[in-house]
Formats: sequence, C-alpha cells, structure tokens
Amino acid sequence: MTDPLRPDDADLPSGVKHSAEYYARPRPPVSLFGGRGPDRYMYGLGALANRLVPVLGGLGPGHPPLPPSPGLRARVERVTRPVPDVAEIVLVPELPEGPLPAWQPGHHVDVVLDPDTVRQYSLCGDPGDRSRYRIAVRRIPDGVGSSRLHALEPGDVIGLRGPRNAFPFARAERYLFVAGGIGVTPILPMVAHAHRAGVPFRVVYTGRSRASMPFLDELPEGADVTVRPDDEYGTPDADAIVRDPAPGTAVYVCGPPPLIAAVRARVGPENPVFSERFSPAPVVDGREFEIRLGEDGPVVTVPADETALDVIRRVRPQTPYSCRQGFCGACRVGLLRGNPEHRDRPTGGSPRGEEFALCVSRAAEGAHIVVDL
Amino acid sequence: MTADATHSPLDEPDRLVLHARDVQFDWSRSDLHWIPNEPFATHVINVLHLLLPEGERWFVEVFKQAVPHITDDRLREDVLGFIGQEAVHAEAHAGVLDHMDAHGLDPTPYVEQIAWLFRIVLGDRDLPPGRAQSWLSTRLAIIAGIEHYTAVLGQWVLDAKELDAAGADETMLDLLRWHGAEEVEHRAVAHDLYTHIDGGRTRRTVAMAVAAGALTTLWVRGVRFLIANDPYLKGRIDGRRPKASWALRDGRRGLIPHVGRLARAVPEYLRRGYHPSHHGSTAQAVAYLALSPAARAAESAERAATRKAAP
Repeated sequence: MTDPLRPDDADLPSGVKHSAEYYARPRPPVSLFGGRGPDRYMYGLGALANRLVPVLGGLGPGHPPLPPSPGLRARVERVTRPVPDVAEIVLVPELPEGPLPAWQPGHHVDVVLDPDTVRQYSLCGDPGDRSRYRIAVRRIPDGVGSSRLHALEPGDVIGLRGPRNAFPFARAERYLFVAGGIGVTPILPMVAHAHRAGVPFRVVYTGRSRASMPFLDELPEGADVTVRPDDEYGTPDADAIVRDPAPGTAVYVCGPPPLIAAVRARVGPENPVFSERFSPAPVVDGREFEIRLGEDGPVVTVPADETALDVIRRVRPQTPYSCRQGFCGACRVGLLRGNPEHRDRPTGGSPRGEEFALCVSRAAEGAHIVVDL
Repeated sequence: MTADATHSPLDEPDRLVLHARDVQFDWSRSDLHWIPNEPFATHVINVLHLLLPEGERWFVEVFKQAVPHITDDRLREDVLGFIGQEAVHAEAHAGVLDHMDAHGLDPTPYVEQIAWLFRIVLGDRDLPPGRAQSWLSTRLAIIAGIEHYTAVLGQWVLDAKELDAAGADETMLDLLRWHGAEEVEHRAVAHDLYTHIDGGRTRRTVAMAVAAGALTTLWVRGVRFLIANDPYLKGRIDGRRPKASWALRDGRRGLIPHVGRLARAVPEYLRRGYHPSHHGSTAQAVAYLALSPAARAAESAERAATRKAAP
C-alpha cells in the first residue's frame, strides 16, 4: 500500500487486513480494468443515487409513527407444588379478551415482575390450549425472581413478554430428548408433540432423586422413557445417556450447564444438537467505576456486578447492542477520555484505544471515563 | 428443495430469538479455488466475499440509526439480534479477503469501490431533519430488498447438494451455510423494520429495482475482476476468456445460483402480500446451525466461558 491515508499493515487491529478501518476512507473509484481513469460505471451509480435522493426524500412515510406495542398481562389461575421446591403456575389473560399468543414447543415467556426483575420460563403446557399458559419454577436459594414467583397466589396479575423461541423444535426423523431436573419443562411439550405425531423418540430424564423430579407422571406411557435419578444411578454419564444415536436423530437437551456441556460434547458431528440459549456470563472481577455520557452528559456509576451497558440502558434505553459478550462490536462507542480495561475481542473495526465496548469493557476501581454517547 | 409450501408448526419454528454466533474459520488448509477444477463457479460465489464485508458493515450502521425509532419491543429485539449477526458475517467474509490476498489475489481495488458505494454514496448525508428521516427510510428499503436476495441465496446454499458432490472445501461450505442459515433465520427482520418505520410502496419498489440492477452488474464486474486478477488464471480459464453463458451452464449444474431464480426474486418481492416468511425454511436453517462445525464450536466456547464465570 502506498496511499498515505491508509494504515500500514502492521498497524492494523487484530491481524485482519481487510477490516472496517482499512476501508474507512475509500478513494473515489478508479477503473478496475486497465487505465487510471475514473470508473465510469461506479460514477454512474453515484450519479443515479444523487438524482434519486431528492426524489425519494420528498416522499412522506407510508404511515405515521406507530404507538408503542401494549404489553401482555396475565392473571394467576392456579399455583400447585408437584414436588416440594417447584411451583407449577397456570396463567390466564388478565382480561377475557380472546386467546393468548400462539406458541410452539421450545418457546418461553419473559415474566416481568418489575422493570429490573425479568425472568425467562419455558412454556410447558399444551400449545393447543390458547386460553392458558403453564410455567414451572424451581426455587433457587436466595433467588429474587424465583421466590417472588413462589409467593404468587391465584388472582395475582403479572406482566409477560413473548412468547419467544430460543430452543427451536424442528422436524427430524427421530429425537433424543435429555432433561435434567427443572429442565424438563421445555422438553415436555416436545415429547408430547413427537408422541402424537408418531415420530420415534427416546427420553432420558435425570435429577437428584425421584422425589425432586417434577412431571414424572406426564411422560407418555409405553414410550422409550428412562428416568435416571442420581441417587439410584450416580451422576449423569453422557456416554450412557447419548449412546450412539441413529443417523437423522436430533438431540434436544435442557438442564444444568454441566449436563448440557457433556451431552453436546458427546453428540457426534452428524447429529444436530439443540440446547436453549441463556443470558450472558455474569461480570467477573468487576470494580465500580464511572462513565460520563458525552463531554457535557450525565455521569453514571457502574457497580462491580453490572455492565456499563446495563446501567446506560436505564438512562438511554435506545442504546444499540447485540451479543453482550464482547465479540460483535454493536455497542462499541467512541472513547473520549480515560483509561479503560478492554475486555472485548473486536473482530476488526477500530483500533484499540479509540472505542469502548459497553457490554464487557470496564475500568479500574473508582476510575472515570468519558464516552461519545 | 424449496420450502414455499404451507407448513405445519413443527416445520417452521417461529418467533426465534436471534443471536450472533462467535464463529471462527481457519483458512490455512483451503485452496483459492475451493470448488476443485471449477474456477468459474468458485469466483462467481467469491464475489459474495467482495460485497458482503462492506455491505454488512453498512447494514449495521443504518440499523443502529433505526433502533431509536422502533416502538415495538419484539421488533427491537429482532433488530438488535440482526445487528450482531450481520456484524459477525461482515468480519467472517473479511477473513476470506485476507485468505485471497495471501494467495496473491488482492481484492482491495474492487472492495474499495464497494466501500465507496456504501460509505460515501449510501452513507450519512447532511440533510434537514425531515429529509434525514426519509434518507433513513430509503436506506432501510434498500436493505430490505437486498435481504430478500440474501435469504434466497441462503436457502440456495443450504439446498446445494451439488457443491458437496463437487468436493467443495468443507470450511468454505460451512462459512457459506452458517451465513446462509442465519440469513434465512433472520430473513423477516429488514422487511418488518421497513414496514414498521415507513412502509411506503413507492420507495420500496424503487429501492428494490435499483438494488437488483446494481447487484447484477456488480456481480458480473466482480467475476471479471477476480478472474482477471487470479494469479493462476490471469484472465483465462482453459485458455478461453469467460463467457456469460458459463453462468447459465454452472447454474444448471447447481454449482452457482441459477440466474432464473435470482431474476424471479424481484417480482416475488414486489407482489402484494409479500412476506419473507413465505419463502425459505427456518426449520432447515436451525437444523444446519445445530450441525455447523463453526456454530457448534462457538456455542461450546460461549458455554464454557459462562460456566467459568458462574459463581
């Protein structure tokens, strides 16, 4: 490269040459096919755009701005305890105004207890029954969300968002379903569907003990179901659970993270394996620091156990972000001042020091940084 | 197989939560001509690597500008998921540009033109507020039109058994199919966003007409550029200059998308009642993502990181 506007290859970030930075200041197009003259075709495209911009700019929007979408509110119809620390909660629409949104096996809802306490639970009832949703919640010691759900009584009203699908249930020739403990909830409607549709399947259901495993009585009778409590069989063994699935078997696993990891690692490359998406990793080794949003903007404090993005979204709810794990770059903003501790893994884009990834990057205890937001 | 027929719910998982996958590809064992003995078809598909990095970086910038105008929670979530996926796509294809460069085919002259198109011609313009909103709408309409093409191409590559039969490089096939599957997975987002923010038919029609025309010519120019600058080909394949009829031939052989399928995409998109969910198969896309070596490795790494961080 001889163009002085371009960085030398050695200065390029993260080893990628053809990065966003490399193409940040493109020169006007020169001919691609011999000669040094301007590229007529590209200039023609540019001229066409310049003529269309004022024409299309005069068009008003196709419709006026839309009002915010209304949330969904549900009334607790029934709370039961199938096993001691699991609450089975049946929800109906708050107002009898017609059916709840349709869902498929694998869908979950967000339960909005208050704006800062939102929890995701798999729908585990019958998708054919649009008059009610069923969720099941295991009480987590010291868990804020689960204790509040366990305290619900018939007649209480809660907010819902969704349903959404982070565990897509797709057609396959046969299935292997692996459930661990409360992870049985998304698996139940999948099993019921496969059973009704006559698709061959096998279920392995693990848990601490039979007495702690909910919905044992809801697995179809006469089907290939293995109940494998740890107190009878020892800790789950992926080899014994997975065996060698026949070609065309899709594996669905839901349960504690070690079970999911073991099953995923054991399933061979020719069998599709599905497990539910979860929220991003918690903050590790965080210290409290401050961020100013623009030179003249407000200052927010980022606590040790939260990300800058969490805190900033409360002040600026429209801040773009995506992966929340520091690789996609969607939440990177300009860094105006301060010494951050970069924790992102930028995939190209701006060189270190000029940007700050809100979702993972931090600063030292009590430090103050200023971002362009 | 095309999946335009009606579906039972199980065939089409819906309301998907879209999320970016932190994929990595190692090109050290891949050839420049990754479909063996098919340099023409290889370069027809390689044009995607020339167009997508700068194109998808631009999608991300425009979509980020649209986020504050969204009033629907579910659409906002979809758009945020889309942004992350597109950002990772752009950089994955940029990795292929480095790979080409390492083999003596420097793509810079062509890609710099694409950068000029997206960053200057289609970039932010100094406009009064009403016109600025309209310019945002126009750019969203262009993205919606292009996204119909990326969904058609994504479905094509998921279906293209002929590439496997031809012995195409496995890493490249995984890149194309992971990307294609995510395009099919998020194919409704750009359409839904344009419909939500503006929805005007005239703008949408003009944007698609211009986008389809420009894509066609840029694709032809890209193939010419790659064959002319390929150090092994030096402008000739088997001693002959490339001909347009070869695109029809390789389309019929299933090694590249058929021109007829691409041409049909325009009337299909402009028909009243069009919705991206009527074309392509989400079930097939999620099934591939559950098999893709790159997507599985990304998910394992992500789960391991979360387990390490968990208290």
